[in-house]
Amino acid sequence: MHEAYGPSWPQRIGEALGSVRQLGVRAWFALSGIAIGCAALVALMNIGHGAAQHVRQMFQGLGSDLLVVSLEGATAPGGTLGMEAEPLPPGIRAAAPLATAVQALKFDRTSIEVMVAGSTAHLAEVLDLEVGQGRLLSRYDDQAAHLLLGASLARQLRVREGDRVQLGSYLFDVVGVLGRRGYNPMLPVNFDDAVLMPLAGMHRLSPAPAVGTLVALGDTAMDLTQAAASLSHFLQARLPGYEVEVQLPRQMLESMAGQSRMMTWMLVSTAAIALVLGGVGVMNVMVMNVAQRRREIGVRVALGARGRDIAWLFLLEALLLGAAGALLGVLLGLAAAWLFALAAGWRFALHAGSLPASMGASLALALFFGLQPALAAARLQPLQALRDD
Amino acid sequence: MNSSISLHGFTRLLGGQTILHDVSFSIFPGESCAITGPSGSGKSTLLNLIGLLDQPCRGRLVLDGCDMTHATANQRAITRNRLLGFVFQSFNLLPRLSILDNVALPLSYRGIGLASARRAATLQLEKVGLAHCARNRPADLSGGQRQRVAIARALVTGPRILLADEPTGNLDCETAQEIIGLLCRLNHEQGMTLLMVTHDPAMAQRMQRRMQVRDGGVFDA
Repeated sequence: MHEAYGPSWPQRIGEALGSVRQLGVRAWFALSGIAIGCAALVALMNIGHGAAQHVRQMFQGLGSDLLVVSLEGATAPGGTLGMEAEPLPPGIRAAAPLATAVQALKFDRTSIEVMVAGSTAHLAEVLDLEVGQGRLLSRYDDQAAHLLLGASLARQLRVREGDRVQLGSYLFDVVGVLGRRGYNPMLPVNFDDAVLMPLAGMHRLSPAPAVGTLVALGDTAMDLTQAAASLSHFLQARLPGYEVEVQLPRQMLESMAGQSRMMTWMLVSTAAIALVLGGVGVMNVMVMNVAQRRREIGVRVALGARGRDIAWLFLLEALLLGAAGALLGVLLGLAAAWLFALAAGWRFALHAGSLPASMGASLALALFFGLQPALAAARLQPLQALRDD
Repeated sequence: MNSSISLHGFTRLLGGQTILHDVSFSIFPGESCAITGPSGSGKSTLLNLIGLLDQPCRGRLVLDGCDMTHATANQRAITRNRLLGFVFQSFNLLPRLSILDNVALPLSYRGIGLASARRAATLQLEKVGLAHCARNRPADLSGGQRQRVAIARALVTGPRILLADEPTGNLDCETAQEIIGLLCRLNHEQGMTLLMVTHDPAMAQRMQRRMQVRDGGVFDA
């Protein structure tokens, strides 16, 4: 007598669907609460993920073994700090000084102010520079009027390898164009928009070119903070009276990544609160729904519905509302994250975990908040329910 | 001979008041029986107790040979579906379902698929002469038509006992006669037990047996 009783699952779901359709505007009300919460969750998780990805890309661009030293003193040191001749301090694989100046660059009747960076041939190794056309500078270029152009600058001026450009009052041969590398906030120069020339050649532009920065590459065998200390010590011994400050991009980026993670969690928690409020909306609609359908519950019980059949009827309605809200929310959230990435100029990166997490959370909330009204409906006494008008 | 409905020592108290006191009677299979009595005498309470929608404070109830006295809520639900059919005064059709799906509804609780349930419902609607209204909503129908739909719904499960609570209470005289005629015909043709609560002596006269509820007791009239 007890085996195989009750509607089949397709029937239960079909009935719940029919009931949800009957809810009309109220279904949209309940659904939009979940949808907004779910959209916020998906959007913020994806934006946070995109931000982390963006930071990671920057981190890769900076080089994980890079050390950036800023030098400040009464008079700027000239030359190459003697680093060419002497052995490097322990833990440092390569190092290059960096002097900067602003000069007018003329080519084919166009003249623009550009950032000029002067360095040694080691710079290419330290910053992993590559050429798009032509060749890199070597130490044999030190006395020649040779230079390299950044990728964006070369495109803007339509300069190619082999062209001759005027910088200050000198003519220079363009021996190559750098490959595009993106902006590195740790460096004083954006190489895409700059001119790179031998540090020795900087004398042609200004009588005493100032080396304000030194970039170095840490040895992977040694801890980077130790390498930084060793480099700092080495430089201070060589440059008395100078203020030497060694910065590690990795440390900075790690703290940035930590901050962005914390920010993401804060935003995600806010979105989770919105989602919980959406769940309360579902409960509100379901409580009203049960109250308005007391007579129907009574009729169904009289026709043979058990408590669990009534409970499932209403619980499935709540779950359907939750599922529809979650689907809508996921679409809205992805669209929002995509638009944000577009506006921020990031590449949109899908956070795969955000979809199951947000849909799971929406369904769990619909279940949680739908359970109480459903159980209340199941506990209704048939006579009470039938007597209601 | 086994009885269709059998009550022993039924007592129901409600809010400190005795509605029914020590009621015992039996109704035989296929019998049609009217329950009459003044308003508030407990006619409907008696019908609800037999229909397993309410529970007595004391007493034993046997339906079609099954003792329902200590049945669980689930057993009572299943028995309502398999053994009993209900017809209410206010029809109690579900407004959002079509006529066809209203009639098919009790079969869904037996796990019968929608297609076969609708086929069975169509057959029942033909029997009450409303097959052409299958796609309509209850609101599109007249009172008499709605009650015929409710009867089709009660009969779709092939019940052994049909319980009708003032089935003509909301209908005009002519329609009421028509409905009673239909119930009597079904009782006669299908051999199911018919138990009807009514306050109308003319309707009660149409039944084979009449019982009166009075002062907490039930008496053959």
